[in-house]
Amino acid sequence: MKDLFTEIWESVRRNKLRTCLTGFAVSWGIFMLIVLLGAGNGLMNSFMRGSGEIATNTMQVYPGRTSKPYDGLKEGRRIELDDKDIELTSGKLFSKYVDAVVATVGANAQVSYGSKYVSGYIEGNYPSRKNMERMEVPYGRFINNKDIQLRRKVVVLPLNMAESLLGGEGGKASGAQLGHKLLGVEGDNSKVNPASLIGKYVKIGGLAWQVVGITKSDRTRNDNLFYAPFTTVKTVYAKGKAVDDFSFTFHGLDTKEANEEFEKEYRAAINLRHRAAPDDERALWIWNRFTQNLQMTKGTRILTIALWVIGLFTLLGGIVGVSNIMLITVKERTHEFGIRKAIGASPWNITKLILAESVSITAVFGYIGMFLGMLACQLLDKTVGQSSVSLMDDQIAMLVNPSVGLDVALEATLVLIIAGTIAGFFPARKAAMVRPIEALRAE
Amino acid sequence: MLIELKDVNKTYNNGQPLHVLKGINLSIDKGEFVSIMGASGSGKSTLLNILGILDNYDTGEYYIDGRLIKGLTEKQAADYRNRLIGFIFQSFNLISFKTAVENVELPLFYQGVSRARRHQMAMEYLDRLGLADWAGHYPNEMSGGQKQRVAIARALITGPKILLADEPTGALDSKTSEEVMQLLSKLNREDGVTIIVVTHESGVANCTDKIVHIKDGIIGRIEDNRAHNASAFGTATIMK
Repeated sequence: MKDLFTEIWESVRRNKLRTCLTGFAVSWGIFMLIVLLGAGNGLMNSFMRGSGEIATNTMQVYPGRTSKPYDGLKEGRRIELDDKDIELTSGKLFSKYVDAVVATVGANAQVSYGSKYVSGYIEGNYPSRKNMERMEVPYGRFINNKDIQLRRKVVVLPLNMAESLLGGEGGKASGAQLGHKLLGVEGDNSKVNPASLIGKYVKIGGLAWQVVGITKSDRTRNDNLFYAPFTTVKTVYAKGKAVDDFSFTFHGLDTKEANEEFEKEYRAAINLRHRAAPDDERALWIWNRFTQNLQMTKGTRILTIALWVIGLFTLLGGIVGVSNIMLITVKERTHEFGIRKAIGASPWNITKLILAESVSITAVFGYIGMFLGMLACQLLDKTVGQSSVSLMDDQIAMLVNPSVGLDVALEATLVLIIAGTIAGFFPARKAAMVRPIEALRAE
Repeated sequence: MLIELKDVNKTYNNGQPLHVLKGINLSIDKGEFVSIMGASGSGKSTLLNILGILDNYDTGEYYIDGRLIKGLTEKQAADYRNRLIGFIFQSFNLISFKTAVENVELPLFYQGVSRARRHQMAMEYLDRLGLADWAGHYPNEMSGGQKQRVAIARALITGPKILLADEPTGALDSKTSEEVMQLLSKLNREDGVTIIVVTHESGVANCTDKIVHIKDGIIGRIEDNRAHNASAFGTATIMK
């Protein structure tokens, strides 16, 4: 091995400029590949941060209106979900896949605190909802099992509502203020301390409710949704058996096909209970976060592939360059190879020499490129990665941790070795094929 | 017989077919010192290439030490060249970016001999040829005679059965030529190395014990020259 490297070093040393110029093309190729993938990763990380707050293996089920006549009933009929649907969902029929079912029930409500009030929607919920939606509760806590059991009158408010209730300006969290929020204009509310609301009592529907927690605002919906224990809301608002919607987590559905199959069966079962056509997709809305996530994964995969392709094509220029100088090297060294063959070098000995040189040049300059690429990613992280755009009152970083992992470094190493082999293959074959007497005659 | 050629034919097909060797029959025994003489175009270089397994022949049989050398793969041919044959060329054919000792080591490298062992052996051979002090020098720092002695050391290091010399004195002056020929004859006499020299110089041929004349692709006269009196220009020197 050491002998091989000595030989390579001797050859490279005699052609420094040529080797460096070609090596630069390889470095550049790998540099681009790493920077592209790093930036791509940063972009994807930033998307992921946006959607990462939701547990992926949940389905949410909403009632709708029938769109087909069925069982003697006309279309356009409103479906209402109730306890029986939950029993059906959590029952034997779907127990193979469904874990926990969590229903919600709610009503429009006005929250007031002191002189300030905010209109919103009180949603009776279960503790497990927090994990299903990966809710973040920066202050206080979410609803717990004791709340459910004791039907406590406690509420968990979103940050924007809490700020409005505490806010310095007027008392109204009206549409106008919401509009401000959407446009990303910071109000005076940023000065108030939302934590001060924890433990205080607010008035909802004439009753006093204790604020136990404050969640991060959910930017995907624009109504002021806040949470209370399911049992409490059901009792206070006299909802009987009816529920608004419900969510459940599931397991064992790993492919898109399996999910679609399950959704079809599930929809049929629920629809039939409500005398709607089994295939009526408008009677029951199913929002499957898993398949949504699958699509997103697919999207990121396509982006990654596209970046690899661009990077590899950039690298291709470098590979052609290496191949070219290896051809020149072979031509220059024909006589020497003739001597080597005459004294006992087999074709493989010669091939090995050229291939090893090609792989070495590619690998060494490739690693320089990779190192610089990673450095550039770090630089990107320190500059663009620190800046963010304000979207819907939320600071969204443009690039989150734009870097490539060890896996990419290993893949790139593999690419370099393969590239070097390809670059050296034809020149090496040419060198190995040359007949010793002809090689000896060459000068 | 160490070397046996039976009715060896060789035709080059570069456009006009050229029948270079027209049935060569030749036997060379172990320990002989033979020269092959002929004018240019007589086929002596082709014969040497076939003897050295650098080229193949069309019909006939060629045995080295009872082994038929025919239809070999490149790898086998390389292995035979490495173990059976030592080459000495007119233009030395040393590798310019390797030092004398590295050049001498090279055949052992292809045998897979360890670095330390082959260095030690190469130094021994250089020492025997009086070049120990020049081991670290590159070929372009040496005189023609020194270069040829390095080449001889390289040819000898694997302990080959045959030493093939193609115009070994062609690039040397007469004094150095004589030294080289004396060295070869000493190797033959003292170490029993079988040596075949291809030359067109009668003075060089006269140093050998047997002169094979080749003309138009066939072996002509085989001269017994143990008395070393074949040279038309006297026996003492190699005329240039």
